[in-house]
Amino acid sequence: MGRYVLRRLLQAIPVFIGTTFLIYLMVWGLPGNPFAGRCGQRPCPDAYIQRMTEKYHLNENIISQYFWYMSHLVRGDFGETFTGVSVNSLLAQAFPVTLRLAIVAIAFEALIGIVAGVVTGLRKGRFIDNLVLVSTLFLIAIPTFVTGALLQWVLGVEWGIIKPTVSSEARWSELIVPGFVLASVTMAFVTRLTRVSVVENRRADYVRTAVAKGLTESRVTGVHLLRNSLIPAVTQLGLDLGGLMAGAIVTEGIFNIRGIGGMLFMAINRQDSALVVSIVALLVLVYLVVNLIVDVLYAVLDPRIRYE
Amino acid sequence: MSDTMSDAQARQLPHATSTGAAIVVDAAKSDRPRSLGSDAWRELRRRPLFIVSLVLILLFTLMAAFPQLFTSVDPTYADLNRNLQPPKWENWFKFGVDGQFGYDILGRDVYARTIYGARASIIVGLTTVLGTTILGGLVGVIAGYFGGWLDSLLSRFADIFLGVPLVLGSLLILSTFASRAHDNPSAVKIASLVIIALVALGWPVFARIMRSSVISTKELDYVAAARALGARPSRIIFRHVLPNALAPLIVVATISIGSYIGAEATLSFLGVGLQDPVVSWGVMISGGITYRNVAPHLMLFPGTFLTIAVLSFVMLGDAVRDALDPRLR
Repeated sequence: MGRYVLRRLLQAIPVFIGTTFLIYLMVWGLPGNPFAGRCGQRPCPDAYIQRMTEKYHLNENIISQYFWYMSHLVRGDFGETFTGVSVNSLLAQAFPVTLRLAIVAIAFEALIGIVAGVVTGLRKGRFIDNLVLVSTLFLIAIPTFVTGALLQWVLGVEWGIIKPTVSSEARWSELIVPGFVLASVTMAFVTRLTRVSVVENRRADYVRTAVAKGLTESRVTGVHLLRNSLIPAVTQLGLDLGGLMAGAIVTEGIFNIRGIGGMLFMAINRQDSALVVSIVALLVLVYLVVNLIVDVLYAVLDPRIRYE
Repeated sequence: MSDTMSDAQARQLPHATSTGAAIVVDAAKSDRPRSLGSDAWRELRRRPLFIVSLVLILLFTLMAAFPQLFTSVDPTYADLNRNLQPPKWENWFKFGVDGQFGYDILGRDVYARTIYGARASIIVGLTTVLGTTILGGLVGVIAGYFGGWLDSLLSRFADIFLGVPLVLGSLLILSTFASRAHDNPSAVKIASLVIIALVALGWPVFARIMRSSVISTKELDYVAAARALGARPSRIIFRHVLPNALAPLIVVATISIGSYIGAEATLSFLGVGLQDPVVSWGVMISGGITYRNVAPHLMLFPGTFLTIAVLSFVMLGDAVRDALDPRLR
């Protein structure tokens, strides 16, 4: 186990370097003047250009620029934005908000997705099964920004149940509807994943054995069937945590949540390259770490899987 | 991510393994051997879900190719006298009139725009899937069939692209290229940029699925037999491995058409995809969201069309999966 974790960790390093370099190349390395349009209507003053070039090592080649940036990043220093604000302090404000939103979304996914998946898996082909399947189809088919705008309009503006936008503190209670919106598509995937795995495992030998031993229905389902059937769903939930944080950009935009997504969107529009690279690097890091944890969890949950 | 990770993923995709083997057993039972394709077709024809989604897709394709068949109104003609007027329900199912779905902020006919909007969405969805399937499938076959260091290299390379989330990455690509290209890039140029961005970030998923499918297929006896008979790798791949390993890729590709149509709309909504003089569902919805309190029809009609289009591709993918994977019946 320890060797496996170590090997996975070592494999994640080149991927992290490759991905961040790709992003860095996209933001900084493309031909074109990085100062175009930066100082409003007139060209940037020479002093500004000189200072910025020095600060971001723009006159060196892209590889050494990148390594200069990474050497700061591994020490936990995300650098400064073009306006001179420390990226670390910006991230410290925005990251907890996005994390909270992602956790609310994961909770919805786990609760609704797994329950619906188990219920439909146990009643395959019945009315409830078809009803849930059709609902998941609709959840998958409606884009997040339509779901978000619709719910915001109906619940927030027409019925007045919720406040249409989230305040800057982003309390848990305000994040319930945005979290549901964020989870809507992945919820459907978790439902289907759980359903398929319950359907498959119901025919497994160990379930038949458990029934043959005379165990009660609830014990067969609750202990024998569920433990194995939930593994794919749990894996999916873990992987979604990283994906949801990155995918929050649309939801955060609609509900005006001051999270990572909104910040990134603004940074891209303002072409604040330093901020863009830092946020994406952080998101990629979260994604890779969560991936690693899920891989290891997989081996713990299912004793039949051995990585050697 | 490691090889084991891909295997773990393959476990989640129940169709990724043993499809070929199961079909072979099925065919052996009946008197006349049937191919995977004809077997799947027989199964599909009996499913109402498949028929419904196929009809809808044909309808949308017709709409994309010949919008004049559905409306005779110019989608870009604006008359400010009628801006934000609600839908005229009495005009439904009448040809040659406008206002069925109301008018937008510039007084343009929403019905005509919704019909014309199908083209951009369908083209982007289909082309992206074509690109990801070819690129991902090719990499997957090479990595899965030859294995070894080539596999490790290609898999790590795919992981790098997989680490960038789809919407975020394409947002980045589009904003960088569009802002540096020209001040006013043409619609074709933006559409191709959208397609390139989605393909660049989408192919690793297809490569992974193809790789695990090829790995399980190349271990089968008939491949070993072909190799023993002295067949070259190219013949083994194209005659024996590929036809039997293609099923999972087809399923994912079908479902993905829908998700890429949705992704295109999302990018338009974020302001980096197709933009206003171009007519597309995403452009219409993002424009309509601003006015939803006074004129919800601006958002609802293109939103409904978009949802039905995505839905029909997802349903088609579902039906195809059920037909190709006998284990789930």
